[in-house]
Amino acid sequence: MRIGLITPEEREKAFKTPKKPDVIEKQKLNVRYHVEDYEVGSRPRRFLEAFAVILKHTNYRFALEHFIRMSAKCARCAVQCPVYLATGDKCDIPCHRSELLLSVYRRHFTMGGMFRGRLFGNGYLTDDEIEEMAESFWNCTACRRCTLECPAGIDHALLTHLGRFILSEIGIAPRALVVSTREQLEGATGNTSALPVPALQDTLEFLEEDIFDDKGVEVKFPLDVERSEYLFTPAVSDFLMEAETLMGIAAVFKATGGSWTISTNYYDAINYGLFYNDRILERVIRKLYAEAERLKTDSILIGECGHASRTARYFVPIHCGGSKAKPVYNIMEYTHKMLEEGKLKLDPNVVTETVTYHDPCNIARQGWLVDKPREIVRAFCKNYVEMKPNKTENLCCGGGGGSVSIDEIRPYRTTVGGRAKADQIRETGAKYVIAPCANCKKQLRELLEDQEVDCEVIGLHDLIYKAIIFNDKDINKPKPDKED
Amino acid sequence: MQQLLDFVSGPLFRLTFLIMILGLLRTFVLDLWGAWDAYRRAGDKKLAWGDAFSKTIQWLFPVRRVFTRRPLYSLFSILFHVGLILVPIFYLGHVQLWEESTGLSWWTLPHFWADLLTLTTIIFGLLLFLGRLISSEARYLSRSQDYLWPILLVVPFVSGYFCANLNISPASYQVFMLIHILSGELIFVLIPFTKIAHCVLMPLSQFIISLAWKFPARIDDKIGATMDKKGVGV
Repeated sequence: MRIGLITPEEREKAFKTPKKPDVIEKQKLNVRYHVEDYEVGSRPRRFLEAFAVILKHTNYRFALEHFIRMSAKCARCAVQCPVYLATGDKCDIPCHRSELLLSVYRRHFTMGGMFRGRLFGNGYLTDDEIEEMAESFWNCTACRRCTLECPAGIDHALLTHLGRFILSEIGIAPRALVVSTREQLEGATGNTSALPVPALQDTLEFLEEDIFDDKGVEVKFPLDVERSEYLFTPAVSDFLMEAETLMGIAAVFKATGGSWTISTNYYDAINYGLFYNDRILERVIRKLYAEAERLKTDSILIGECGHASRTARYFVPIHCGGSKAKPVYNIMEYTHKMLEEGKLKLDPNVVTETVTYHDPCNIARQGWLVDKPREIVRAFCKNYVEMKPNKTENLCCGGGGGSVSIDEIRPYRTTVGGRAKADQIRETGAKYVIAPCANCKKQLRELLEDQEVDCEVIGLHDLIYKAIIFNDKDINKPKPDKED
Repeated sequence: MQQLLDFVSGPLFRLTFLIMILGLLRTFVLDLWGAWDAYRRAGDKKLAWGDAFSKTIQWLFPVRRVFTRRPLYSLFSILFHVGLILVPIFYLGHVQLWEESTGLSWWTLPHFWADLLTLTTIIFGLLLFLGRLISSEARYLSRSQDYLWPILLVVPFVSGYFCANLNISPASYQVFMLIHILSGELIFVLIPFTKIAHCVLMPLSQFIISLAWKFPARIDDKIGATMDKKGVGV
């Protein structure tokens, strides 16, 4: 009888991917941190000051109090964490990561810690500890699978979130994220990809022509239409990289006669604040909401993007007036509703290849969008297969928590964070993996390329675009030949 | 010896039991107070009550979880807890003592079941301890209290089992009884101040997680002002 956890050999067996030479050594994250007014030696003091201020003005303290009383160190989370399973480095066990922050809290912010400090001395926070936290908190892909498995109910993801928040207040955050956010909040273009308005308009016109060429239907991307039902905001990178997703969405609105608009003033739903700083999170949310108020739309509709949907859905009520705030939806909710009402018709004979669905952590983990996307896919894909595990227990693509935006760490993402995902996709044998999330799409493409999995990453609306059936009255010209 | 036994089972028992009850009450009330304060400050008060409730039930009676991940560990842990909770409260001898001193009494475990659950608690407590020793992950995370607790919790069960079942001389009976009561009292005193406080905090966990993500509204300016960073860019 065995009582222990998985052995190294079993861990190896759990991964069907044959090890490539460059995978054997542990991939270090090696993020180039963004550091401002850096003074070694004063960092611990500044960390504690930032921690104290954050505790004063936020709601984290009661959760920390609960967690330090509950933590039983059972190591159950170790079997759930894709990062730990890939690296086998004990520093990557979620409970250890949480303990880094909890121990600082215990020593410096609780009565017991202060007593113990007076009596026996418990050590002031050191620069090395900050260094370790910076490394560890950014190793995590923030997929929150460990939270499902903790019997004591410790939300390791919340602690990582808080840890990154404190670190960023003293100038430690990945450069890539900070630079993008700076452009979004203070730059001339006002979005993370620095996409100017004329380029946006050109892109959309180009897409309109493409749709007409493909389907013979005149579809418009409505710009700045006041009092529309939905203010549609995708991740801005979709305008550059996911043309088919946007075409699919526009086609759905055309076929269902929905009232929607894209703002030319602000068209980026990306919110990196979720990954490193609550204050940035709040600023981006307020910027998005102000745009919905300016255009007087009834609600906000987020495109195929996990973190953008989650932040808007859960933080618009928090920062913009509670239950009175305008509702926020994900595009898949709209498409599902239209399908249910019979307004959207999809041809079941177009997509015949095997298709599987990847749940983005940010919309599936809490059980928000789990069955609806599957119902949409099943409505027109004959060969649908599930990955295992799936739904709320899905595996992260490996690019979560903002790491996908950091190009320098691609080897880390594709050999550590996403390794289990690559095996999972390979096992389904699917031709397409649907990933309704801008971050997951980018990460999965790189992952499948690096791990040599023969499968194509695609958005849900890219597939819908292939299979959509327009009303006869909308079709202006017969389907053109490819030669034309 | 008899005098000592009278003292530990009388005044000392009352004192330690009181410490446990008041300590747990304090912990529980502080936890709830913190949660209430967080709820008051939250920008959005719409909580997923139903989801938190069902997760709480799932974790209080984690049967569904047993065969999904780490089945052995889960099974050991559950079997350990069943006896740990039931025997001290529903053992006939204990209930009789309560009845003598307070007049209150309640349902009791049949003798066979009390014995069986005592044995399972001892065995699975030791197995959990061994598991912690064997598993490199658990060893890496463990603090000293994590090793001590399973051992300490098993002591009153072993001594109690001897007192109830073995045909031993009155003198050694008294020694075992002394160990039984003293170790129990040590546990009482430690419970509120260690991780065993989860015996009352456990039902709150899932609600606290879902509430913890409900941040207060408009913290940007407040934090910025306090840190002298107001209006400072990203």
